[in-house]
Formats: sequence, C-alpha cells, structure tokens
Amino acid sequence: MILRALFFRPIVRRPWRMVITVIGVAAGVAAVVSTIAASRAAIASFAEGVEEVAGAARLEVTRPGGLPEQVLGALRPLAGDALIVPVVEENVLLLELEDGVRLLGVDLLLDAQVRPVLDADDGPADLEKTLLGFGALISRPLAERLGVASGDRLTVSADGRPRSIEIVALFEAEELSAVWERVVVMDVAAAQELLGRIGRLDRLELVPRAGVDIDRLRDRALSLVPAGATVEEPSQRRRFAAQMLASLRFNLVALSAISLLVGGVLVATTLATSVVQRRYVVALLRSLGASRRQVAAAVLLEALVIGVLGGGLGVAAGFGGARLALASVRFTFASVVRGIPASDIRLDPQLALLGVLVALATSLAAAVLPLLEVTAIPPLQGLRPAAPRRLAARTRLVAAATLGVILVTVAVLMRAPPLWDLPVAALLAALLVMSAVLVGSGVLLDTLARLGHLPFARLRAVALQLASAALSAGRRRAAWAAGSVGVAVALAVAIATMVSSFRSTVESWTEAGLRADVWVRPLAAATGVWVGRLDPEIVAIAEELFGPETVDPFYSQTIAYRGRPVSFAGAAFDVVQHFGSVPFPGRESAAVFAEALERGGAVVNEPFATRFGIGEGDRLRLELPDGVLEPEVVGVFRDYSRSHGLVVVDRRDFLRFFPDHGPDDMALFLPPDVDAAVARRRMLDEVQGRFLIEALLNRQLKRAVLDAFERTFAITTAMYLVAAVVAVVSVAAVLFTLVGERRRELATVRAVGGSRLQLMSMVVAEAGLLGVAAAAAGTVAGLVVGVILVKVVNLQSFGWSLELVLPWASLSKLALWVVSACLIAGLPPAFIASRLQPATVLREEE
Amino acid sequence: MEHVARTLIMAITLLAAPAAGAGEEPEWRQVTGPPELSLPRDHGAHFEYRTEWWYVTGLVADAQQRRYGFQITFFRQGIEPGDPGPGESGLRARQIVAAHLAIADISKQGFHHAERLRRAAGGLAGASQADLEVWLDDWRMVRGDDGVIAITARDPDQGIGLDLELRPQRELVRHGDRGYSRKGEAIGNASAYLSWTRLAVEGELSLADGRGAVSGAAWFDHEWGTSQLGGGVVGWDWFSLRLDDGRDVMLYRLRREDGGADPRSSGTVVEVDGAVSTLARDDAAIEVLEGWTSPATGASYPIRWRLRVPAHDIDLQIEALLAAAELDGSTTTGVVYWEGPVEAAGTQHGEGYVEMTGYAGTLDGLF
Repeated sequence: MILRALFFRPIVRRPWRMVITVIGVAAGVAAVVSTIAASRAAIASFAEGVEEVAGAARLEVTRPGGLPEQVLGALRPLAGDALIVPVVEENVLLLELEDGVRLLGVDLLLDAQVRPVLDADDGPADLEKTLLGFGALISRPLAERLGVASGDRLTVSADGRPRSIEIVALFEAEELSAVWERVVVMDVAAAQELLGRIGRLDRLELVPRAGVDIDRLRDRALSLVPAGATVEEPSQRRRFAAQMLASLRFNLVALSAISLLVGGVLVATTLATSVVQRRYVVALLRSLGASRRQVAAAVLLEALVIGVLGGGLGVAAGFGGARLALASVRFTFASVVRGIPASDIRLDPQLALLGVLVALATSLAAAVLPLLEVTAIPPLQGLRPAAPRRLAARTRLVAAATLGVILVTVAVLMRAPPLWDLPVAALLAALLVMSAVLVGSGVLLDTLARLGHLPFARLRAVALQLASAALSAGRRRAAWAAGSVGVAVALAVAIATMVSSFRSTVESWTEAGLRADVWVRPLAAATGVWVGRLDPEIVAIAEELFGPETVDPFYSQTIAYRGRPVSFAGAAFDVVQHFGSVPFPGRESAAVFAEALERGGAVVNEPFATRFGIGEGDRLRLELPDGVLEPEVVGVFRDYSRSHGLVVVDRRDFLRFFPDHGPDDMALFLPPDVDAAVARRRMLDEVQGRFLIEALLNRQLKRAVLDAFERTFAITTAMYLVAAVVAVVSVAAVLFTLVGERRRELATVRAVGGSRLQLMSMVVAEAGLLGVAAAAAGTVAGLVVGVILVKVVNLQSFGWSLELVLPWASLSKLALWVVSACLIAGLPPAFIASRLQPATVLREEE
Repeated sequence: MEHVARTLIMAITLLAAPAAGAGEEPEWRQVTGPPELSLPRDHGAHFEYRTEWWYVTGLVADAQQRRYGFQITFFRQGIEPGDPGPGESGLRARQIVAAHLAIADISKQGFHHAERLRRAAGGLAGASQADLEVWLDDWRMVRGDDGVIAITARDPDQGIGLDLELRPQRELVRHGDRGYSRKGEAIGNASAYLSWTRLAVEGELSLADGRGAVSGAAWFDHEWGTSQLGGGVVGWDWFSLRLDDGRDVMLYRLRREDGGADPRSSGTVVEVDGAVSTLARDDAAIEVLEGWTSPATGASYPIRWRLRVPAHDIDLQIEALLAAAELDGSTTTGVVYWEGPVEAAGTQHGEGYVEMTGYAGTLDGLF
C-alpha cells in the first residue's frame, strides 16, 4: 500500500522524471567508468602487460641505453641457478595495421620455458626462417584482425627503416590477448638486426631454477653485471611506467569523479522534489498510521532503484564511451611512456561492479536530505502546503559562517603540498568549492527574493515579482535545482578555464619555442606511439644535405634520478644556440645555451625543477651506465610536451654515455634563403625507398602539437554535455514540482484576472531566475575551481605553470546557454500552469 | 657411432634445412677419409662440420655398493656454416648446443633425465676449438692438461646432478679406418669417430634423495661429420661393453625397414694392449631375446640380447639393468630413445651401455 502510493504510482504517473534521474546518474557513472576503462586500457601494455610478457621471468637485468650482449657470458656463473634469456624490445610501426606494435625479440630456442604462450598452436615454426631469417610469431587474434596466416608477409618499420618479415607461426593468447594482440615475436638475433641493435640487448631475464632463493640470485647477479645495470623484478618496470602515468591517470579519474558529483546532486534534486511533490500523500499516509520508517523505506527504495538502474546504464554507456575516449587517451599515454597502448576496451567485471556500487552509494548519499525531509513531514499539518518562509537571520548567519569556513579551508588546501606527487589537497579544495555552491544556493535564492522586494525591483513586471516570491516560498526545492545547475555550471566553467589557460599557454609556447623549419621523426602513422628512433644514417643524410650547423638531433634515454624515472637527453647545443628559441622565463635562449656549452652544463624542464626542487646553479648528479655526470643546471625551460622530468645536455656529452642508436627526432634550422618546403621535399626524396619518416614543416608541427593537446582534452567536452543535461533536468523537475504545489495559488491568480500569458511568464521567469542564480553561483565557483586546476593541480601533477587565461567569450556563452536552457526547461511547466482550470482547482479540498 | 645426438639434432636440422641432403651442402666440410688428427686440438670442436658430439656413459657404485648408470652428452649442431657476415648479429643461432643428462638408479630401478638446449653464441653455450671444452649454461665437459676429463652437470628441477672426473685407462681408439667411420654408400656419408673406451670415474652423483661419492668406469665417444646416412634406415642399436678380460667392444647395427641390418653396420674390438679390430656387419650376430613396452610412449624395445662375435670368441647374453630407461622428449625436443646400462654374461662378464633409436616412430628420412 505504502509502496504503491509512494513508489509505484509516481513512477507510473510520471515515468519521465524517473527516467531522467536515472539518466543523470548514468551520465555521471558513465563518465567515471569510461575514464577508468580507457586509461586502464591505454596503460595496459605499459604496465599490466609487463608481467604477462615477462612470463616466468622473476628478475630482469636492465640498464638505460641497453646492455652489451657480452653480459650474457658474464652471467654464466648464474646459469646453474637460473635460465638466462636475452631480450630485445622496441615499438615498431606495423604498416598493415597502421599502428604501433611491440617487437619482442627473445631466444626462440628457449622461450617456451619462459613464455609458454609462445608455443605455436599450428605446429613447430619453420626454424630456418625463425633462426636465420626474419620469421615472426604473432597471436591468432592479431592474425585474424589483419586477415593473415602463416607464410604471409608483413612490413614493420623501426628506426624509420621498413623491413619485411614473414609470419612463421600463430600462437593462441586467449586470456592475455589484450597484451599479446599487440606483440610481434621474433628471434633475438633477428630483432637485433631489424632494430639496428647488433651487439646490444635491452634486458636479460632470469628464470630461477627450482629451490633458488631470489634475493641471493639478485645479489649474485648484481655482482656480475656491468656498472649502471640494475637487477629488479619485472613488476618494477610496471611500477616505473605506472609512476610516469600516475598523475595523468589520477587527474582523469578525478575529473570524472566530479561529474559523478553532479550526477549525485541530480539524484538528490530528484528525490527531494519527488518528496515535496508527494508531501500531501506522505502526510495522508502518516495520518492513516504509516510509520516514519515505512515512509523512509519508500524513499530509500526509490534511491536504490535509481542507483541500480543508473549504475547499470552508466556502466554500459561507460564502456561504450571508453571505446570513443580511448583514441584520445591512448595518444596521451603513448606520448608519456614508450609502449603500445591497447586499442580495445575489455569489459572488466570489477569495474562494472564498481560503477554500480558508486551509483548506489551516490544515490543513497543523495537520499539523506530528502529522507530527513520526508520523515519530518508531520501527519496532519503536513496536509497543508508548506508556507513560504524567509531564511531566519540566524540561519543566514550560519550559512555565511559555513561558507566562510569552506573558503578558508579551500585557501589552506590550495597551498598544501602534493601527496604522493598527486594534487590530492587541491582537488579536495575543488570539491569543497563545489559543495559550497550547494550550501550557498539556498542563501542565494533567499537573497534574490529579498532583492525582488526592493523598491527598484517593484518597477519590474508583476510576473517577475511573483516569480521571485514563489521561488522564495519554494526555496527549499528551488535551492536543489539552483544547486545542481550551479555545480554543473561550475564544472563547465572550471574546465573551460583550465582548457583555455592551457591552450593559450601552449599556443604561445609553440609560437615562441618551436622554431625548427622542418621536423623529422620516424613514421608513426596517426597513432602518437613512439616507434623506435631515427636511424643515425638519417642524421648523416640531413647533415650532408643542409650542413651540420642546421641539424639538431634529439637523443633521449630514460634514467633514474633519485629513484624516479626521468628523461636524459642530448641535443645539438651549438645549433640550438644559434637558431633555437627555448622558452627560459626571463632569459635569452641563446645566452643559456652559450653558457651551457661553455660550462658543460645542462638545462632542465620545469616539471623536473618542480618535482626535485632544482633551480639554476644547482649541480645534478646523474648516474649513467658508464659513470657519473655532474652537470650544473644553467637554465629551466617551460615544457608542456611532457609531464615527467627532462635533463638535456649537449649531444656530445650524451653520446659519451650512450651508444648512438639514433635520435628520437631531429630538427632542421635552415638558412633564411632556403625554402623549407623544398628542403623537406629534398629530405624525403633522399631517403625515399629506404626509410619511412615523417617530415613536418614548422606550421604542421605546431598544428600537430595543438592537435595532440586537443586530443588530450577531448574527454573534457563530455562534461559540457553533462552540465547541460543536468541544467535542463533539474530545472524542469523542480518547476514541475513547484507548479504542482502551487496549483491553488496559480488558479487564484487566474481567477483574479491573470492571463494565461502572465501565468506562463511567471513560471518561465522563475526558471530564468533559477538559471541566473545558478549561472552566477556556478560561474564564481567554477572560476575558483578553474584557478585551482590551473595554478595548483597542473603544477603539482604535471609540473607545468600555466598562464591563467579566462575564457570570457565561452563563459558568457555558457551563462547565456544555461539561462536559456533553464528558460526552455521552464516552458513545459509553464504550459501546464497556464492550462489550469481555476474553477476545478479551487474546488479541490485543501 | 650414431648416437642419439643425431636424432635430437636432426629434429632441429630437418626443420632448419629441409631441402638439405648428402652432397647438397657444399659449405659444410665432409669427412671423406681418415682424419689427420692433431691432438689435443681435435678433441675440441669442429665447427666446419655440421654435427658433433661428446658422449659419456658409465656405471658407478657408491660406498654402499649401490650401482648407478649415467649418461651425459653434449651435441653440437651447425645450422649455418661460417661466421656471421657484416650486418648480421653474433647471436644468430648458426650453431646450437644441446645436452642430455640421465641417471639410472639401478638398485631402486629409477630413471631420471634432463636436457638443455642453447645457441652457441653470446657465451652461455659453446665449445673450444683448442681442446675438449664444451659447455651449456652451467653444464660443462672439459679436458685438463693432465688428460683428465671433468664433467659437471646438475638440474635442480629434476633434482639430479653429477660432478665427475674421468681418467682414460687406455689410448684413444680410432674406429673404422683410422677414425674414418663409413655410414653410407656415398663418399661423404661418414664421420670421424674417436673413443676412450675405458676411463676410471671418481666423483659425486646427486639424486633427489641425496648425494654421494661414487666410482666406476665410463666410455667416451667423440664424433663429428656432416652428411647423413643412406635411405631406408629406421633406427639403430648401439652397444658399448667393457669385458672383464680387459677387452672393450663397440657395435652398432643400423636397422633397415625390413628388419635387417644395413651393410654399413659395424663395430670395434679393443684388445687389452689397445690393438683395434674393426668388425663388419656379418662379423657379429645380435639376437633379441626379450622386449619391454614403454607405458609412456607405447614403444617396444629389446632389453635382452644374445651377441656373438665368433672371430673374437665372444658369445654373451646382454641384459638391461633397468628396463625403463627411455628418454621421452616427445613434449620437448620431440626425440624419444632408450639409453641404459647393461650387464653381459657368457664367454666373459662385462658391463656397458646400449642405445636404441627409431622404436617410437621411424627415423627414416632424418638421415
């Protein structure tokens, strides 16, 4: 009976309200699930894949820049305790796939002992092709995707050099297919030749034999490996990769959690308005003997149903959205760590469960206030509509004090240092600002209502006055709507502020910093994945064509600095000094490089300086494979292309410590009389048929940088949509409620001569007022959150200092849009109000 | 002598060079006549030939007189002759080293074996060209300046290992025509084949239930060559016996599809003074008296024979000390063979090892 009256009947009568609420929750959950799923998939083969690919290997010997293959022989004393397996690994472009894959070179005579998955399922591989030629094993899913079989040929490009390989066998990889789908396996020697890495290995894997103590094995190995090499568990590599990706991942998830907050607010709004709508029914039931508990149970059930339905729908939409988001997330992650991100989203039951649980928790939490309200409805008095009430002075004081406390806390949190390198405090501050919008919306509406009675307001239309009075009377429900629209607006404003600041900063950075006329890198298709390096021969060709004084190759290796991964790079300082313009705040680029050349110094990027507290004049101690380099830091430059630390020295210093495997990319600074487009053509013609490279002109490079930026933030546009949906849904739901509640009042207005148009304008004016209030509160809060994101979160998680650029144009557009959305949302309730039959309504019993 | 080396390595070779047959591989050197030996260099590896192995089998006893048979073999198989060319990786598997270790616990009738395989590149497996020194991971067989051969091999996963010193008790034996051992009709169908037929063994043996000092006697074979047997051979039986009258006997019978012995089947009798007589196919008669069927592979192997070499007054009943001496590599290298310790009684007493291949599927076509 109670359930029927309080739960089923409203659903049957107003199914849309329920549907919209469920969609609201689903939108929030979908944002969270898709972000997590996409970032998980993106880092899958950087991180989760590490151990799967490592197979039975328990320890790995690695060294930045690789190991000489003589280490194999040096480790012979360990051979009794462990199977020693050489590995060569690099990302390559698989032309047929138009995407990057991981080329894994292993000892195929032994490898089934390490990676049983490699046991080909279509019989033994052709060993002549495998051991002496360029035979490769690929997983069955990859073969199916490419439509190829054993005996077919594929083309891979590493170091810009296309090579034909032959598929000699397929292997099954059901459980691990996400990882193995992106792997091409070859014999280690073939891989060395293919990658131009003869004599070198990327790592040695140790598979301990029975009864061997890992720690002892590690110690013994350490005593045998060359200086600079480390012996770690494979999971260490995963942690290294995870560390480099942590901030990126955290921020994506945090941003989507905020959208979940918006979803939660929406649930609260819906539940609260539904309680208000059913105030009469609740009071009636209470009068008839229903207990508070029974009534509360009905509200809880509603929250539960919203949670489960919204969660389920959100999870489904989330996985779907993740597929769309993956392309952008993948690109971003690939630019941070060398690896091949998965290109498929896998349905993860744990994440699905998490999504539903989050939805449930959100809707139950959102039910708390409505629950308090419903249980507070007294039996008999409740049958009368709630009387309009202004906020008492004390309440306003309390609200103001609460807001004050929140603001102070926010200010404190903004200054707090990062926790585990993550801007936890700052994001908490952002969350608090959002909640301030909720707390403050009631006060704001109250204030608006008071303004409506000021003398100058009397000059305005009657409709506006009535609307203001009505909002003031229905403040408690209206506050919900204003709050949720406000939070949504705040979210959109914050993101707009961050993106505009970011964009403007990056634009001026590329404008000032990217001076190269032509920029050359190995062909990577449109994937963003780093595929190998540029063959040293390409550098030689460029130097031959344009003169060595115009060529700036950029070499890099990942090394550990104070136990954390950073990039160590080499660049042609003499070339950069003359032509380049690296943005060193407050200093001339040329002067910095002149100083660096003279003193054998290094320049570091801002994320490095921020993370390690390093500044100009400090001396670094870099432990490199063949010794220690202790350069002085002569400059700190702005760098928005990477969030991890970067130390750059002159390439001659770099090549003293690392063999010349070729640079990551290469910049050409041409003399003024040389046409860049012609030079680019010459470069491409010269390598035609031998190397697969991309050569971008200056404007194309700038475009590429900005495109990468757009892709990174593509996911944020989803939040604009969330904001819009929330605005429309909340405003419509609340106005429907208010109209329903004030049927008699509205009928009275009609009875005393108010026209339908006047009634409609009154309701639409309410919607407009709500929109204005919410837009105002949301914009203010959003700007604060935007400042937090720009000035604190970015600095703490990426080490980037950004110029704060307020997107005035899009802010005003947004405000206009929200107010219009509210006005439009007010139309259906207004229409209903205008159709009220005064005679009928006034005859209704109170 | 055609040790199982061939089978194992053929499994690789066959895949590696499917079209290759006798006379079609000009790049590998062929054994076409008695080798001009230069020792100790010829104890080492001959990379210019395609296949080579160092093979030791023996019987030892511990302080409690418990008897054990052991087999340790290093195989070298060339996949591609010559050194890496410019632009080629030194890690290319041009040569492969494989090794087998088996210990027969005669008193407990237990049989344990392990195998290893690795390319002879990068330092973890290889062989010296100066003297006998061959290694694969931590397994090693090396001849010292004093002529003593040290062998170390251990497999923690199987719980077996040995650490032995072998001291030759008589001169190196050159089988066939001064070490030129014909295996087929074509001129290159041959190998260079050398043995120490009698070595004193001292050292340590370990099994899962413990390790202990052992001593006894062993047989050492070193053989290299390139080309293969003639067609129609499905497998072989190889006998090595140390008789208590001081003589040593080696005999191999190449089995044809029709069950008969190939004409190139041969053998050697080594007298106490080291004098060597070569046996032709018809000089020796082998009769199977009893068989055993492997429960693992279903293959049936002889385990009792009668061997007669009338010209040398030899008439022996030979019996396996352990029936279940099958090395089942069907899930790893794909090679299945029987190799176990035997005892002989009759005109003389004696002990030794027998190897039988081609019982679990024919070897025809491999050679």
